[in-house]
Amino acid sequence: MNNLQEVWSKRFNHYMTEVQKYMRFVFTGHLALVLVFVIGAVGYQYSEWLKVVSDTFPAEWIVAIVAGVILALSRPVTLLRQPDQVYLLPLESSMMRYFKKALTYTFWSQLGLPAVVYIAAIPLLNTVTELSSTQIWIGIIFILLLKYVNVQIEFNYRYSNRGANTVVDRIVRAVLSILTIYFVLNWNIALAVILIVLLIAYNTALQKKVKTLPIPYEHFVNLEQNRMMGFYRFANYFTDVPHLTGSIRRRGWLNFVYNLVPFGKKNTQSYLVFRTFIRTDDHFYLWVRLTAIIGVVALIVNIPIVTWVITGALAFATTLQLKYALLSSSDFRMDRLYPVKENQRKDAVQKLLRLFMLVQAFIVLFCSIGQPLFFVPAIIVLVLSEITFKFSKDPSNNDFSY
Amino acid sequence: MALLQLTNVTGGYTRKPVIKDLTFSIEQGELVGLIGLNGAGKSTTIKHIIGTLLPQKGEIRLDGVTLNEDIDQYRSSFSYIPETPVLYDELTLKEHLELTAMAYNIDEKTLAQRSEQLLKEFRMEKRLNWFPSHFSKGMRQKVMIMCAFLVNPKLYIIDEPFVGLDPLGIQSLLDQMDEKKKDGASILMSTHILSTAEKHCDRIILLHEGQVRAQGTMNDLRRSFNMPNATLDDLYIAMTKEQDNE
Repeated sequence: MNNLQEVWSKRFNHYMTEVQKYMRFVFTGHLALVLVFVIGAVGYQYSEWLKVVSDTFPAEWIVAIVAGVILALSRPVTLLRQPDQVYLLPLESSMMRYFKKALTYTFWSQLGLPAVVYIAAIPLLNTVTELSSTQIWIGIIFILLLKYVNVQIEFNYRYSNRGANTVVDRIVRAVLSILTIYFVLNWNIALAVILIVLLIAYNTALQKKVKTLPIPYEHFVNLEQNRMMGFYRFANYFTDVPHLTGSIRRRGWLNFVYNLVPFGKKNTQSYLVFRTFIRTDDHFYLWVRLTAIIGVVALIVNIPIVTWVITGALAFATTLQLKYALLSSSDFRMDRLYPVKENQRKDAVQKLLRLFMLVQAFIVLFCSIGQPLFFVPAIIVLVLSEITFKFSKDPSNNDFSY
Repeated sequence: MALLQLTNVTGGYTRKPVIKDLTFSIEQGELVGLIGLNGAGKSTTIKHIIGTLLPQKGEIRLDGVTLNEDIDQYRSSFSYIPETPVLYDELTLKEHLELTAMAYNIDEKTLAQRSEQLLKEFRMEKRLNWFPSHFSKGMRQKVMIMCAFLVNPKLYIIDEPFVGLDPLGIQSLLDQMDEKKKDGASILMSTHILSTAEKHCDRIILLHEGQVRAQGTMNDLRRSFNMPNATLDDLYIAMTKEQDNE
């Protein structure tokens, strides 16, 4: 059956274009800036710490636990879709070829994280343990092996249990993976190999069960949808992802804020915008996150110019992203028919942003106390936010059709 | 003067028109049914009337004004119940009513009176503080209906109102429509439920391939199809067959 491989490659290409489309926005956004800053700071702290770390530091255990837990999280990427439950049904018996491709991709795409974690730990292992460099590098081979087995097992377990009790399987694999790495790092290769054989036996047992069962489409499709939703949510912080509805929470403790919007025709859009912002997780947590980052930066960075630049960049990002999130929408909403002034929505968003950027400024002010020129970051937040709102493009969709 | 007057309206989503040269009117206190097959142009017609699509040619007058002449008056004159309920996930039922009241300049006292009566009629009193994610399709539809009737406008535009409603809900909606008609409001309703349309509509507009095929009272239609004693179902089928033979 050639066409199943074709189905996979078509989906894979489509998936890659989709991911690339949004990742472009992610890495040109403020995240890149924050990442560079964080990686630089953490790397510097790490190298300083290595100079003073004591020989009794339990590096083997810590590396084993972190890498082992990450290895156990091997959710299969199947790229299955809702209609497959109907259209691929007749191909049930040859679907294993499709899944083989899917699992190969899952393996390679998820290998990076545990490998990077392990490689980052190499300087620590060199300093603290007695292992030779060759021995440490052999550890990488075990990471590779473990990842491969973990991916296979997680898929077969989900398949044979129809997606139920996955936590049990993950805990078992995490423990076995942690112990394997621990034994490797103590140069007890025999025990490590035994554990790997144990994992392979576990996988074989599951595989036998898989052969007797039909494909649990429902579970895999759900898994896939959740994964893509997670990705779109993430991408939505940086750009407008169409038709994405975030989860809603009441957040009753913020109800008092609504008192700022009294009943009346001229407040119609404010009534809506205030509730949309506070209750939509995506919007609200965006503000919380960026505000928290600014606060932490103001608190710990002692070089004023660095604080100012980062504060400015993040205040700019907060304003711009919230303006986008609240003003642009291609979907039809009832308020498009309301007999209220066209610019009421924009004014309402501005009012909301002024309020929440003022709160952000206060938090920064509080965090900067004790620093030289402690009031500057707060002023930067207010001024930059105002300028950003005024001079950025108006994303509202004036095209009436829907 | 007719409350709603469409004159030679041509329009659609792209340059290629979906509705062609539509001319019809709705008088005050009239319930008019807009009937047609899937894709005949019912929803497109409605989108032009509510102003989310603008006509390529022709003119739509509501209570004497076009959308361009006085957008506030135009929009205040109607309320709209879409085919699929469009709710705000982040607003409770109570807040949907409040938001609508604010937009249409209804004071809090009137809001309280009207919503109490509507909530009772549609048996939704106990769900005032619920978010729409907990509502069934029918309940979502009821929220839309309550918001529309809260406004008390001159014209109600209702797209496929009976889909998803339980029998009690349908009865409540019909009762509300009757009551508003008695008060002098007009209603334009598109539907596939022909028996209900035949029973309740004062006049019927038969839409086919974007054009008005026939319009008038049931008796007018029977005469124009030459089918005395025919039901609306019979006429509807006759219309589609006639077009197939052409």
